[in-house]
Amino acid sequence: MQNELTDIELIGQVLAGNQPAYATLVKRHQRYVFTLALRFVKNRENAEEVAQDCFVKAYKSLTGFQQQSKFSTWLYSIVYTTSMTFLRRKKLNTFFIDDDTVFTEVKNVSGQMKMNETEQKSQSYYVNLAIGKLLPDDAAILTLFYQGEQSLEEISAITKMETNTVKVKLHRARHRLKEKLQSLLKNEVNELL
Amino acid sequence: MNNMEEELWNYIDGFCTEEERKAIALRIENDGQFRRKYEELMAFQQNISAMELDEPSMGFTYKVIENIRTVLIIKPLKTRVNQRIIGGITAFFICTIMLLLGYVFANINWLNQTTLALPEIKLPQPNSYFNQAVIKGFLFFDVVLGLFFLDHYFRKLFFKKN
Repeated sequence: MQNELTDIELIGQVLAGNQPAYATLVKRHQRYVFTLALRFVKNRENAEEVAQDCFVKAYKSLTGFQQQSKFSTWLYSIVYTTSMTFLRRKKLNTFFIDDDTVFTEVKNVSGQMKMNETEQKSQSYYVNLAIGKLLPDDAAILTLFYQGEQSLEEISAITKMETNTVKVKLHRARHRLKEKLQSLLKNEVNELL
Repeated sequence: MNNMEEELWNYIDGFCTEEERKAIALRIENDGQFRRKYEELMAFQQNISAMELDEPSMGFTYKVIENIRTVLIIKPLKTRVNQRIIGGITAFFICTIMLLLGYVFANINWLNQTTLALPEIKLPQPNSYFNQAVIKGFLFFDVVLGLFFLDHYFRKLFFKKN
């Protein structure tokens, strides 16, 4: 029954003292939050730490949520800020396009699922692999636009960038993703593109 | 990125105006190269859209809720202090000060102008305290403190490197 409630209704319940309602909110958004965090930190353990931190921060600031935007937009802005802070704190390098070490790391991340040969060759696998090789900002914008289903204006609010900048970045991110896929697949690229 | 690709992405994303949309749709219909590019981008778009979300560990929700509980337990003291108590203490001191000032002003003889005589304070001679032993002791303490902070700094540097 609680699954049918909207985010706003659940927030109302949490603010009224019903803490388990927050668990429903976490379950609903955890995959998006985790994926977005993973786009930045490129490591499952760190991404989980960041994602948990985001949900705790969101809980503590829930009274400050003005409901002027979607809850997901507000939550993703927390993820964006927390991930950026995490990167700054850990002084992780923002990976360059031809950095082979990233490829290894991302390969390990996706490889944890122990996919078989056929699955490894699936389109989704290669797109995930390629997206993991992108710069954190590019990967985050693509994730927000395609997986998070956020509009340009919402992404602009999350990333604190101008809408036009987001639009240009989205175009560039797609272009770079295509390049990544081409370099990953070489001959097989035509099957994907 | 070429102009054609940008135009097509705007069309696919729905970022163009109605007029632009119609013009591009017409071009896709009539221009073979434009149509091929459109189909290529559409296939690419479908692949990105079909990308699966990553799943956190099984106990993720539980860990979040546990973290929240911990945060709530170790809530800082300032948030648990009853504001009424603070207000009461403030009011008590304000009242006391006001009463004291009232009493002082009420007892001042404004007409009788007498000069205020400040009490004489005898300060000790500095030389009697800053003798050789004290200075040496002070310098020794400074050197120990300096070594302690230097050690602390190098330890920090070492851990950072590792």
